[in-house]
Amino acid sequence: MPYHTFKCSKCIPERTRHAVIKGHGEDITSCLPLGYLNTIPGSISERGCAFCGAKHVIGTPMKDVIHLCHGPVGCTYDTWQTKRYISDNDNFQFKYTFATDMKEKHIVFGSEKLLKESIIEAFKAFPEIKRMAIYQTCASALIGDDMDAVAQEVMNEMPDVDIFVCNSPGFAGPSQSGGHHKINIAWVNQKVGTVEPKITSDYVINYVGEYNIQGDQEVMADYFKRMGIQVLSTFTGNGSYDDLRSMHKADLNVLECARSAEYICNELRVRYGTPRMDIDGFGFKPLSESLLKVGLFFGLEDKAQKIIEEETARWKPELDWYARRLKGVKVCLWPGGSKLWHWANVIHEEMGVEVVSLYTKFGHQGDMEKGIARCGEGALAIDDPNELEGIEAMMELQPDVIFTGVRPGEVAKKLRVQYLNAHAYHNGPYKGYEGWVRFARDIYNAVYSPIHQLSGLDISKDEIDMNTGFVTKNIISDAKIDKEASITNNEREYTGKYDCVTHLRDKTY
Amino acid sequence: MDEIQQKKVEQLVNYIMKWSLWQFNSREWDREKQNEEILTKTMQLLCDEPVENETPEDRYYWSEAMVLSSDFKTNFEWISQMNKTEIKTLMDDLKNRIDYLTITGSLNAELKVNRY
Repeated sequence: MPYHTFKCSKCIPERTRHAVIKGHGEDITSCLPLGYLNTIPGSISERGCAFCGAKHVIGTPMKDVIHLCHGPVGCTYDTWQTKRYISDNDNFQFKYTFATDMKEKHIVFGSEKLLKESIIEAFKAFPEIKRMAIYQTCASALIGDDMDAVAQEVMNEMPDVDIFVCNSPGFAGPSQSGGHHKINIAWVNQKVGTVEPKITSDYVINYVGEYNIQGDQEVMADYFKRMGIQVLSTFTGNGSYDDLRSMHKADLNVLECARSAEYICNELRVRYGTPRMDIDGFGFKPLSESLLKVGLFFGLEDKAQKIIEEETARWKPELDWYARRLKGVKVCLWPGGSKLWHWANVIHEEMGVEVVSLYTKFGHQGDMEKGIARCGEGALAIDDPNELEGIEAMMELQPDVIFTGVRPGEVAKKLRVQYLNAHAYHNGPYKGYEGWVRFARDIYNAVYSPIHQLSGLDISKDEIDMNTGFVTKNIISDAKIDKEASITNNEREYTGKYDCVTHLRDKTY
Repeated sequence: MDEIQQKKVEQLVNYIMKWSLWQFNSREWDREKQNEEILTKTMQLLCDEPVENETPEDRYYWSEAMVLSSDFKTNFEWISQMNKTEIKTLMDDLKNRIDYLTITGSLNAELKVNRY
């Protein structure tokens, strides 16, 4: 097994089996790190907790819901708006955050009364919202508050409201992934099958594991609707609470992030016989084949093909403009979970960048199987890295840019390594054909940023050429390419609008 | 399996690993079923044999197989020069290799967990 030991982690021998280098001839039967295990004491992990995974990844993107955290205010405030899961109802779920604000006295005397008062107060403050999700935290779980009983009591007193109870305290798993699991199962157990939906098409899907980061869901839903497909529910980005109660009525579950939402697809397959179809919404070829697969399932492949041809003709010249300039750029692909494998191959195939490392904070071994199978030889794959390991990897691999979250991203900046936000995006959406060009543009802007280039100069000791003018990113990037070929192929920079999502909300099909 | 066949199988394996997701469902029994159904239907499509696609389950496997068989024909021209017997042997070898990589030789400790 080609394990990699970080110098900084020699004092934590358990870390040895959490990093591998994919050498020549290695495959996933000889090269796979451990995964989804409890973080080793002493290793300062970048993971989130199971409460965060349940509430802030999966629960909160539901748009027409009061999301109430039953715990200390810090549990919800400190993680408020960490993602950009927008919605088409003026971002209600995004603008407001709710907590019962437990204090020490509640730990001693119990906080069920406080919970009930908070639920009623929140419903009264937002009378147009009739749905609520309440989330357990470590504090309220440890004292044994019966949240289900309180929720039922309120529903008995207020028959027009419905409440979902999520029992996923922070300690309920090794990482946020434990919370993904718990809320998937809780939703299918408590809520699926409790609403009979209006079916408006012969072709009905649930779009699952999609969180509408900067509009991803709305872009993808537009394609499905253009094919004549009814998107009955989205689990959970831009998703409606009552739509998600009717998931049992779909013909197909189209699954995007298998890491966070395969559980509900698997359960729906077992309980209702609805097939699970995994797709890739990122990248021209994976997206085209995904639309085609969904089209084939319903006999709508001609409509899928029409969309593929139209969108490819519109956006491919722009992707090619960036791909020509990104060839050979070294990337550390360090997202949370699923983008590890969504992007590992396609960014190389379609943009020409080289993935020198991939890591996952909370992925399981199954995610690493997909990522390692898709990346090239020589890549360093790390499970649940700590900050020092990340720094050591960046210093050794010298990437041009890393795709990661805010916390490790800020560390990268201090090392003068550019970073793109893989979780919340910089200028997304990144899904869809146009989105993929926007992603390429963000990579380009990061790598060739003139300010970034200048930041490498130390005016206290470096010799500064005063006769050279300001160098733009185009001057830097175009120095190494065949510009004539780019012009001949009609390649061009991104020509889309600043906001490519909002107009979709007024579209009729 | 001779060396030429082995090279062909590895090309197909590499293609599946780079572009497909169906082979990586999270449990062993699930992977067995996915590999069996999708690769069998892919073989049938490549051999111009009838393929069952009436039930939702079959329809799903068939959709995956349609995309895969089309990709195989587009990316590996040598497939079109093979006769049915050769294609069946090739797909058998491919299935064995995919089963090994994703199930019998897999290092993924979660494959044997009973529940989802």
